Amino acid sequence: MGAAHSASEEVRELEGKTGFSSDQIEQLHRRFKQLSGDQPTIRKENFNNVPDLELNPIRSKIVRAFFDNRNLRKGPSGLADEINFEDFLTIMSYFRPIDTSMDEEQVELSRKEKLRFLFHMYDSDSDGRITLEEYRNVVEELLSGNPHIEKESARSIADGAMMEAASVCMGQMEPDQVYEGITFEDFLKIWQGIDIETKMHVRFLNMETMALCH
Amino acid sequence: MLLLKTYRASFIFRVHPFCGDLAFAAASCGRVFLSFSSQAFYSVPAIFGVSFGIRKLYMKTLLKIFAWATLRMERGAKEKNHQLYKPYTNGIIAKDPTSLEEEIKEIRRSGSSKALDNTPEFELSDIFYFCRKGMETIMDDEVTKRFSAEELESWNLLSRTNYNFQYISLRLTVLWGLGVLIRYCFLLPLRIALAFTGISLLVVGTTVVGYLPNGRFKEFMSKHVHLMCYRICVRALTAIITYHDRENRPRNGGICVANHTSPIDVIILASDGYYAMVGQVHGGLMGVIQRAMVKACPHVWFERSEVKDRHLVAKRLTEHVQDKSKLPILIFPEGTCINNTSVMMFKKGSFEIGATVYPVAIKYDPQFGDAFWNSSKYGMVTYLLRMMTSWAIVCSVWYLPPMTREADEDAVQFANRVKSAIARQGGLVDLLWDGGLKREKVKDTFKEEQQKLYSKMIVGNHEDRSRS
Repeated sequence: MGAAHSASEEVRELEGKTGFSSDQIEQLHRRFKQLSGDQPTIRKENFNNVPDLELNPIRSKIVRAFFDNRNLRKGPSGLADEINFEDFLTIMSYFRPIDTSMDEEQVELSRKEKLRFLFHMYDSDSDGRITLEEYRNVVEELLSGNPHIEKESARSIADGAMMEAASVCMGQMEPDQVYEGITFEDFLKIWQGIDIETKMHVRFLNMETMALCH
Repeated sequence: MLLLKTYRASFIFRVHPFCGDLAFAAASCGRVFLSFSSQAFYSVPAIFGVSFGIRKLYMKTLLKIFAWATLRMERGAKEKNHQLYKPYTNGIIAKDPTSLEEEIKEIRRSGSSKALDNTPEFELSDIFYFCRKGMETIMDDEVTKRFSAEELESWNLLSRTNYNFQYISLRLTVLWGLGVLIRYCFLLPLRIALAFTGISLLVVGTTVVGYLPNGRFKEFMSKHVHLMCYRICVRALTAIITYHDRENRPRNGGICVANHTSPIDVIILASDGYYAMVGQVHGGLMGVIQRAMVKACPHVWFERSEVKDRHLVAKRLTEHVQDKSKLPILIFPEGTCINNTSVMMFKKGSFEIGATVYPVAIKYDPQFGDAFWNSSKYGMVTYLLRMMTSWAIVCSVWYLPPMTREADEDAVQFANRVKSAIARQGGLVDLLWDGGLKREKVKDTFKEEQQKLYSKMIVGNHEDRSRS
């Protein structure tokens, strides 16, 4: 594991930046090495090695989210070619569970970050709005595995859902008013008062208890 | 064991005063003599199938030493105030056992403050479920774990299984060094000599038996030659095997099916029963062994070209099985070596034949030496060398009661039933996945399952709405 001192310093730095504990960081580091094949960076192709991911209909969007500059906090748009371990942890930190020790402001911030992550997943051209096309695209992908659903039905489902979202955000619209798309503020409005925290996180097993039971 | 060790030590000490080539020659002669005498010590019981219980004593002593070594390491780590690297074979994430439908319903319920009779067909929130599942699999997935060697929780003095090198004190290093010396300089030559004896006896013995006229005497001799040689090979690996339920051992006209961890599985099973092997014809040493074996009794060897033709393979196996005088066939349906923590999908070919299937579960104890052959990491020779320089190979073999295919089952369901029985007995995880994933990608048919399920839910709602 190399020189003990510099490694633990790095770990402490990462702990501060991403909020994971040192145990979790070590576990994720092993996973990172497994995915990257012992290279220092991961590319999109490396995610092909996870068989369970193939089952997921929005697989390409999830993989894309890892390389999205907006999620990596490196810029307003575009995709990175490869990510290192720190970037990997940054993306993973969007799925950290809400800590009970956090105060209200931090909880609100964490919630906003999670919703922003989802927003970026929908808004693929990074223009800050989820247009009807982008919405349709997501629904089509989610329903893509079923050969019995035609593209038309997928479209109509998306259109119906979009109309509902529009009515929530804009209220009653004039007949010639065009709805541009869902902005991030509208997105937040849709989710106001609704508890998404319990659904948007991955729970790590408690490391200490596992060490004790051989 | 201890007796032999002291003998060797005193021998070399006496040789020491003489210097130069004489000492070297004497020492090597001594070593050869010693290995032959200990070979006799090993081989004679092998011929008669008797065991002195020395290996069990060896095992107990080793276990005590390992426990001590791990304790020292933990103490060392505590002194330096660091965390010991602890492997977690159960994964690092608490995965929710709820199904797709339940979760989505729950998300919608908690999300939708609108009237429930107006069930929406699709919501932004549906993406939560898939997103989370995707993240979970990226962090930790069931399948790729199975293709790397199992990780141990206590150290067994083999550097290949230790990840906590910096916590070893001086005492431990000395012990480890002693272990290396014993394993490489004492055990290894002994084992290689034994293996050599075993294989040459097999080739010579079966060729000689092949010249006998067909009849009961020939069968008797053939059976005992095979058994004896396999037993010598078992001792060559210092394999300590415990057989359970031997009354269920496979009989003529049946197929014996087992989970596959390494090429040693064959030796382990064949040293307790008399089987017909199935396999591809190889060149080199393997080819010589195969040709010799087939002279004594009918094994089923396929040419490389014939292996691809499934109908031909099935036909030959069926012919063999229907002849009641022929031996039970030994088959490993997983098709590749798995790391012995789970059982993967069984290929249905052997289950279509319609013979009685005798399942066998093999479970290795990884504390003494990891028997898993990671063929992408190690070649055959490296693998055998690693096996022979481990402390021992300890495993348990369970013979399960015979199973036959029922009227309403197809081959795949039958294969899965057998697989579950084996997994349950051996304490292994029963996985649906294909062992072929070691080298290839997921088949498209699997990808569509989840998507079909989800879309069925959405379209179902849509239809309900249009109907009302």
